[in-house]
Amino acid sequence: MEIGAEAIVQNKTPKRAAVTAGADRPGRRPTSGRFRRLNVLVGVLSIPLFVILWELISRSGIVNMVLFPPPTVVAAAVLEWMRSGQFFWDVAASLYRVSAGFLLGSALGVLLGILTGQFPVVSSLLSPLFQILRPIPPIAFVPIVILWFGLSEAGKLFLVVWGVFFTVWLSTHIGVQKVDRGLIRAALMLGTPRRQMLQEIILLGALPYIVVGLRTAVSISFYTLVAAELAGTFAGVVYRIEIAQQNLQTGQVMGGLAALGLISFIADRLFAALAERTVWWR
Amino acid sequence: MSGYRSTTKLALASSQPSVKAASKQPAIQVSNLSIVFDTNRGQMIAVDRVSFDVAAGEFVCIVGPSGCGKSTVLNTIAGLELPFEGEILVEGSPVGNPRPDIGMVFQQPHLFPWKSVRRNIAHGPRMLGRSAKEACAIADDLIAMIGLKRFADAYPNTLSGGMQQRVAIARALANEPRVLLMDEPFGALDAQTRAVMQDNLLELRDRIKATIVFVTHDIDEAIVLADRVLIMSAGPGRILREVAVNLPRPRSSAILIEPTYLALKRDCLEVIRAEGLRAFNQSDSS
Repeated sequence: MEIGAEAIVQNKTPKRAAVTAGADRPGRRPTSGRFRRLNVLVGVLSIPLFVILWELISRSGIVNMVLFPPPTVVAAAVLEWMRSGQFFWDVAASLYRVSAGFLLGSALGVLLGILTGQFPVVSSLLSPLFQILRPIPPIAFVPIVILWFGLSEAGKLFLVVWGVFFTVWLSTHIGVQKVDRGLIRAALMLGTPRRQMLQEIILLGALPYIVVGLRTAVSISFYTLVAAELAGTFAGVVYRIEIAQQNLQTGQVMGGLAALGLISFIADRLFAALAERTVWWR
Repeated sequence: MSGYRSTTKLALASSQPSVKAASKQPAIQVSNLSIVFDTNRGQMIAVDRVSFDVAAGEFVCIVGPSGCGKSTVLNTIAGLELPFEGEILVEGSPVGNPRPDIGMVFQQPHLFPWKSVRRNIAHGPRMLGRSAKEACAIADDLIAMIGLKRFADAYPNTLSGGMQQRVAIARALANEPRVLLMDEPFGALDAQTRAVMQDNLLELRDRIKATIVFVTHDIDEAIVLADRVLIMSAGPGRILREVAVNLPRPRSSAILIEPTYLALKRDCLEVIRAEGLRAFNQSDSS
């Protein structure tokens, strides 16, 4: 029987062998290598080229430099923002809102997703309600949130939680429902008690779906953060963008956008790395 | 649980001296089993008064066209299909819920994708209250038996279909079931792998001494493996014929060209062909 296993292993090795075998054929490899190097070079140049073009257009007089400041002006505004000490507090305030809202919203989403996914009665009770509330864009809740919570942090938290919850709930619900029935039958045949099925099979079976939902929720939490901070506050990256806009500090506005984009990008990347470890068997 | 374990051990020990213990109580007794499904076109009789016994240590194959209810019969014996009419006794006690003394291998391996090969196999013993160490020892023995030592820590998605199904068989054997039910376990494999798997199963069977009921639609597979073949008809599922396979053991897929084998196969095929024609004409006229 070991022989069978070896045959299968050998089936897998040719992939690696083929890569090295390519080196023996002088005709192909240099060509594909040259193309690859060209692609890397173009990729590295992408952002610098864009920035240089932006700088040239801004300073050329084709556009109004006050409304469309060049990157150097934006960079100066960002440096000033950092030097004043406001940058740190703005970022801290925004990060706090995003992470608190994300954690609370996803905890609720996972919990209720498991309940509605597992128990048809709970699903019949809650799913219609959630399906009605889910399509309402969270931003549309800003006016009523101001009425309910004023300018307090609770209102900001509410908006982010609201945005995150439905996505995580739905993906968890679907994940739980899509757990392979065959795995459950196999587990039953192996003596798994029904009350242990949740922890042994269902949670892990649903995990890939939950992780996808959580990752979507990361970007949703940033969308709702924008709405939350525009609704009125005293610190935050989006708040700073709004203040700068009112003072016609376009450089600061663009710097704020860049900072927001960077933070959101880093959050997404971190979560992607985390997700890879969470679904460890892939 | 410990009481149950010890009786199993005793039964195993006492059954060893005589493999063909015809006088003993059969491992599986199915009497007048009927299963009716509710479909949107009314009630459908999937299985119609099926009765058969399987002796302890016997290897029985159930053959029939797809949709004849052979898998349903197997699932019912496993305790996965409820409710049913009639009586099923496994090792003398009626089946209801799934029992750890009945092992099952499905057409798909259904391995837990988040567990390594070793932990997949150790799952059953863990669930029956064995310590992690004991369960791993059981798993490692079985891994050696199926020849996958190098893959003990691999995850299922890195294994080929044949290897996955071998792990599924080892996982079902980890609880030392008295009865092993196999539902077209090699149906999804290519022809070469299937032949190797059949030889492996015959080899394995000599070591485990479990009673095996094996469902397939492949008449060759059934004759190569079985002591006895039950041929089922479709719509409603009935047992048409029972064929004893008196080919010498140890067997391998090499017997596929022996004259005695071919004679047996001709018998089986005639029954199946007559039944197929009858079913075809029936569906044509209705």
